[in-house]
Amino acid sequence: MASSISMQTHRLPPAPSQIINREKVVTFTFEGKEYSAYEGDTIASALAAAGITTFSRSFKYHRRRGLLCCAGNCPNCLVQVGEEPNVRSCVTPAQQGMKVGAQNVFPSLDVDMMSSTQLVDRFLPAGFYYKAFMRPAALWPLYEKVLRNAAGLGEVDTDAQPGYYDKVYKHADVTVVGGGLAGMQSALAAADADARVILIESEAQLGGHLRYSGQSRGETAVHIQATSLAAKVAAHPNIEVMKNTLAFGRYDHNWIGAVQGNRLIKLRTKSLVVATGAYEIPPVFENNDLPGIMLGSAVRRLIHLYGVVSGTTAVVVSANPRGLETALKLIRVGVKVAAVADMRAELDAELVAQLQEHGVIVLPQTTVIKAESGMTRLESVHLRSLDGCHQREVSCDLLVLSTGFMPANELLLQAGAKVAWDETLNEFVLASLPENVFAAGEVTGSHNETDIVREGELAGLQAALAAGFDGNNRAQSLRLRVAPLQARIDELQTEIKQTREQRTAWTAAQLAEQAGKKDFVCFCEDVTSKDIKQSIDEGYDSMELLKRYSTVSMGPCQGKMCNVNALRVCAHYNGQTISETGTTTTRPPVKPVMMGALGGRLMEPVRVTPMHDWHVKRGAKMMNAGVWKRPEHYGNPIEEVRAVRERVGLIDISTLGKFHLHGKDVPALLERLYVNRWRKLGVGRVRYGVMLNNEAVVMDDGVTACLRDDFYYMTATSSGASSVYEWIESWLQGGWKLDVHLLDATELRAAMNLTGPYAREVLQKVCEGIDLSNAAFPYMHAREGKVAGIDALLLRVGFTGELGYEIHVPSGYGLHVWQALMSAGKEFGILPFGVEAQRVMRLEKGHIIVGQDTDGLSNPLESGLEGLVKLDKEDFIGKTSLVFASEYGIEKRLVGFEMPDGTLPEEGNQIVRVGNGPIGLEIIGRITSVRRSPTLNKVIGLCWLPAEMCDVGQEFSIRVRGELKRGRVAKLPFYDAEGVRLNS
Amino acid sequence: MWQLIRHGLNGKKPFQRMWRTHTLKDSYDVVIIGGGVHGLAAAYYLARDHGITNVAVLEKRYIGSGGSGRNTTIIRSNYLTPEGVAFYDESVKLYEELSLDLNFNVMFSQRGHLTLAHNDSSVRTMRWRAEVNQIQGVNSRLIYPDEIAKLCPHLDLSDHPRYPILAALYHPPGGIIRHDAVVWGYARGADQRGVHIHQMTEVTGIDVEHGRVAGVQTSRGKIKTGVVLNATAGWCTLIADMAGVRLPITTHPLQATVTEALKPFLDTVIVSGSLHVYVSQSDRGELVMGASIDPYTSYSLDSTLGFLESLSGHMIELFPFLSRVKILRQWAGVCDMTVDYSPIMGYTPVEGFLVDVGWGTYGFKAGPVSGKRMAELIATHKTPELLKPFRLSRFEEGRLVGEKGAASVGH
Repeated sequence: MASSISMQTHRLPPAPSQIINREKVVTFTFEGKEYSAYEGDTIASALAAAGITTFSRSFKYHRRRGLLCCAGNCPNCLVQVGEEPNVRSCVTPAQQGMKVGAQNVFPSLDVDMMSSTQLVDRFLPAGFYYKAFMRPAALWPLYEKVLRNAAGLGEVDTDAQPGYYDKVYKHADVTVVGGGLAGMQSALAAADADARVILIESEAQLGGHLRYSGQSRGETAVHIQATSLAAKVAAHPNIEVMKNTLAFGRYDHNWIGAVQGNRLIKLRTKSLVVATGAYEIPPVFENNDLPGIMLGSAVRRLIHLYGVVSGTTAVVVSANPRGLETALKLIRVGVKVAAVADMRAELDAELVAQLQEHGVIVLPQTTVIKAESGMTRLESVHLRSLDGCHQREVSCDLLVLSTGFMPANELLLQAGAKVAWDETLNEFVLASLPENVFAAGEVTGSHNETDIVREGELAGLQAALAAGFDGNNRAQSLRLRVAPLQARIDELQTEIKQTREQRTAWTAAQLAEQAGKKDFVCFCEDVTSKDIKQSIDEGYDSMELLKRYSTVSMGPCQGKMCNVNALRVCAHYNGQTISETGTTTTRPPVKPVMMGALGGRLMEPVRVTPMHDWHVKRGAKMMNAGVWKRPEHYGNPIEEVRAVRERVGLIDISTLGKFHLHGKDVPALLERLYVNRWRKLGVGRVRYGVMLNNEAVVMDDGVTACLRDDFYYMTATSSGASSVYEWIESWLQGGWKLDVHLLDATELRAAMNLTGPYAREVLQKVCEGIDLSNAAFPYMHAREGKVAGIDALLLRVGFTGELGYEIHVPSGYGLHVWQALMSAGKEFGILPFGVEAQRVMRLEKGHIIVGQDTDGLSNPLESGLEGLVKLDKEDFIGKTSLVFASEYGIEKRLVGFEMPDGTLPEEGNQIVRVGNGPIGLEIIGRITSVRRSPTLNKVIGLCWLPAEMCDVGQEFSIRVRGELKRGRVAKLPFYDAEGVRLNS
Repeated sequence: MWQLIRHGLNGKKPFQRMWRTHTLKDSYDVVIIGGGVHGLAAAYYLARDHGITNVAVLEKRYIGSGGSGRNTTIIRSNYLTPEGVAFYDESVKLYEELSLDLNFNVMFSQRGHLTLAHNDSSVRTMRWRAEVNQIQGVNSRLIYPDEIAKLCPHLDLSDHPRYPILAALYHPPGGIIRHDAVVWGYARGADQRGVHIHQMTEVTGIDVEHGRVAGVQTSRGKIKTGVVLNATAGWCTLIADMAGVRLPITTHPLQATVTEALKPFLDTVIVSGSLHVYVSQSDRGELVMGASIDPYTSYSLDSTLGFLESLSGHMIELFPFLSRVKILRQWAGVCDMTVDYSPIMGYTPVEGFLVDVGWGTYGFKAGPVSGKRMAELIATHKTPELLKPFRLSRFEEGRLVGEKGAASVGH
């Protein structure tokens, strides 16, 4: 087996900067073939070590794409890993047994038929799909199917299991994002000033680009310095280092979203230091996307971290010292450097001399204008002097590009920082920063190490100072040190100001006019400069329109590689400067983030009552009622109705909203919340109330009991409980200044309704301390006493229409009391009943269910609640709107109805009359509730009808399963109109 | 198609410009504030159907920069109230013809729209909607898990989720569209007929004399006009305020997000009110997802982390296998909410100042019909039947429309 594993032909000998462990080998497959990797390798570094150069195919033309950035920024190395699509293989560790494959290729990465789109590319300009596929219209679904199948990248495995995800909250005085030189300096400075610091690093080690710069300072290699600085950071008691963590979003008030593996970190920080460095970006030239063309930073990463070099003959195109340094490094690892072209006029003399010692041709003021490919990768490049006078073709299989940077400033922009284009540096620099947000290092446009170190320290000190002045105790100790801190800040600011003025460009000004074809501005979406010119010609001439039309910057990299180039090309064709052209908005996340990590585990637990297990054991069919589980019935709802009507039943109503209202102003509050009167409700009395919203729409209903002058107990509907709580609380906090304290007791108390002709007899057996006689404890009264030995609140109410007692007890005793009542009721033939039986009985009694019988417009005057409304009351919520509505007249009403022919309509069926609608009908009302009543043996319900059709006996048509049926208005309630049973 | 081939064969000849830039004239017959789908459609139909071409569309930023470019591109007409259904049904019909009408492929993709019901009260509401829709001639019906599974086999239809799926309202003509293309297509159509589209032109004031509109002040100068249409979203109350008109509207953020592109696996639009989420897969392969409005009022266009968390959690409830799919980008828009979740269209107490506002989370769906009917109102001075229920005075009359049930998360 081992013999079939591809050899690591491109691996260099061990070196101290490498982070791979050659002792430990893992194997994985790529496109079905087996490869080996060392521990510490990424998928991409292992594949590059085996000589793989094509990693993906491009989105539109299916061109071969190879490693470009090696830093998880560009789209070129996106692969499918098992069930996970769109994995950036250059930053994903290779693991034993991984199955890695190319995406969006047919039939394979090597032979991709879809690359034939290149042959007809002249017919596929930017936005071609807006101009085609319209005729005949009937064929659009087919065209669309083809387009859809061609689009998309990775595949979703619809059988994938969700996995385990987690969330963590963190707090910090100072958070530093980016563990490079600037970030480490910041963290140390802030931590030395006593701030609690969190340092977030997206990679596995601190050190940033120092780890792979390959440089030495004196005797010490830079990566060693990085390591020792990292050790100092790690050892600092005030610093918590979070590696492999991507800070993907900065939200309002320094709320940071970060993700570490499967864990979402939600971090509130007093100050934020962004030291995220810069993205190296490629220039635009013909065939700039060929495999074998890599950024300088990518080449150095591969060499120094993984000991991999991806080529034998290189050309380096540069615009800053790092390019020349990379060329030297390549020579040292045995790569032939065929030429170095540098866009600058004045090059670093010492580096040039060293290169020339090795016989390398160094061409100043020269750039690359074209690359040419062999079968699978780069074969040669065309270099041309900037004045256009000299041109040469150089053979090579590796082109290294060190020509520009774009600050990785997404977090700063999300925070509201402003950037400005610096014509000297050819880069965006910071123009302003919001409060408590600081920046240091390459993200500010500084590429010089002295500057970076200074800026790091400055940002750390400023962040600590900003975090300290919030008056808490820790700040006191900090404040004592403010004077020296401020002195150091001033000193650093002066130094930085001086060196800033002397900064030189590290990013080359590009050739304005691109001559060639297939010069890609946007690698994700295959957008060329020609596409951009064409889009601008068509009128999409601002960056935002250009982005939406040409799709430049809309792909996986979200503009990291292309924003600056697109801006340059756009500005050029518009005849504007880059500053005039303006940028597009930067939005979170900085890099794509897994939905699993964001979603975590759904924190919406199933709510069950204390009697839940009893119901289940009893064989109840449970249903979802809002966030709760409730028994719909225990097998036979009709039998349950009969039991309550003839004997006695017990229902679990623990899901009701239950509120304790304390304070002397509770009556005043109730007067305002409810449409009816409350001031004179005596102690021990219960009253039904209806709440409206500001538009006079019925919001909720329930009963409230006065237990003491300053203590009331309110119930709300199960589904309305949380909104009623928020509603009352919002009014209490909104300026009424009432002496009322509201407590949500919904989960503190279990509740059950014991109801039926024998309810009193059953309760008598287990109740102490309350005279249950009708005279002593009449209908709509409340009493406190003991039930089954437990302190209980009893409300004598009657939703079912029978004698009934609501029994409210502490939750922990709910099951005990329930069982006691069931045992006590045994001799009376007690049955537990569920929601369905209750619905039937309330309908027989003509009680409405708010939200089912009423809707988002129903006011109480039309909902059969007019008797309750006291418009002569001083005020109540919704009164103004209700007065309006009553003055304009009531147009519809909620009434009872029967079905003379016994048809059972469905809830939601419409009441219609002949009209000129599309099927000859006009809607005039609707059925809100309907049941076949076992008690009355007929179909009864509630419905909305035009006000003029509401007389008892009036007939109307209902559309039931497509057929018209007759209904007839009936008098409410259907059952026990005199209320004899309730009051018995 | 032919222009593509011609362009391909003769690459030097550029495509025609979509819209031109003009200097701001001193006066226009009609000034439309807001270069989104509503404003541009109104301009287009004014020019095409009524020959009124001396029209300016003023846009603060670039066309489509507001709600038109920020929505989740869902089109449907399965509303709850008869007046709502009739209105949106005309919109869907106009959308069906739009590509040919504008000769610009807006990629209206009628892939079917499913609104899931997770409890018996939503089943009841879905049946109510289906019944209203059917009577109004709109293709819409209640379906159950066996049929849902055929349309969307990857939904978790088991009883394992926190909120199992009991039924769905199925609306075959519903679907998604390329929202920017609608804006661009209307802009081109209006431009070709002589309408002036002024981008980067901010309205700073509205002149009202003796209860009539007299002109508009902009960042680029003053315009005289007798007719101003406020077709803005997010800031419509501020614009109305310039004319001294108060609107019963509050502004809330609405957020959305997309994933990285994936190979197609989701054909229909899926909406779940209980889970506050709607999702479709675009032709590019991205999952485009949104939720209900943020509960607080704000003009902020900043996104929140809380939105990503709750949306992702709920998406995984519906599609457990999406855990490893990655969010690419999130954004926010601002929505003008009325108390009855219905728009305000027509005249205001200031003569010549008309509104097409209060579009909440459903404005994009209605772009063509509101444009067409507002143009008719401006041209004929007669309020079309379809617009009558949405008059401003309904708030004084206590005659609200009541779309809350279908519109609150109803994408």
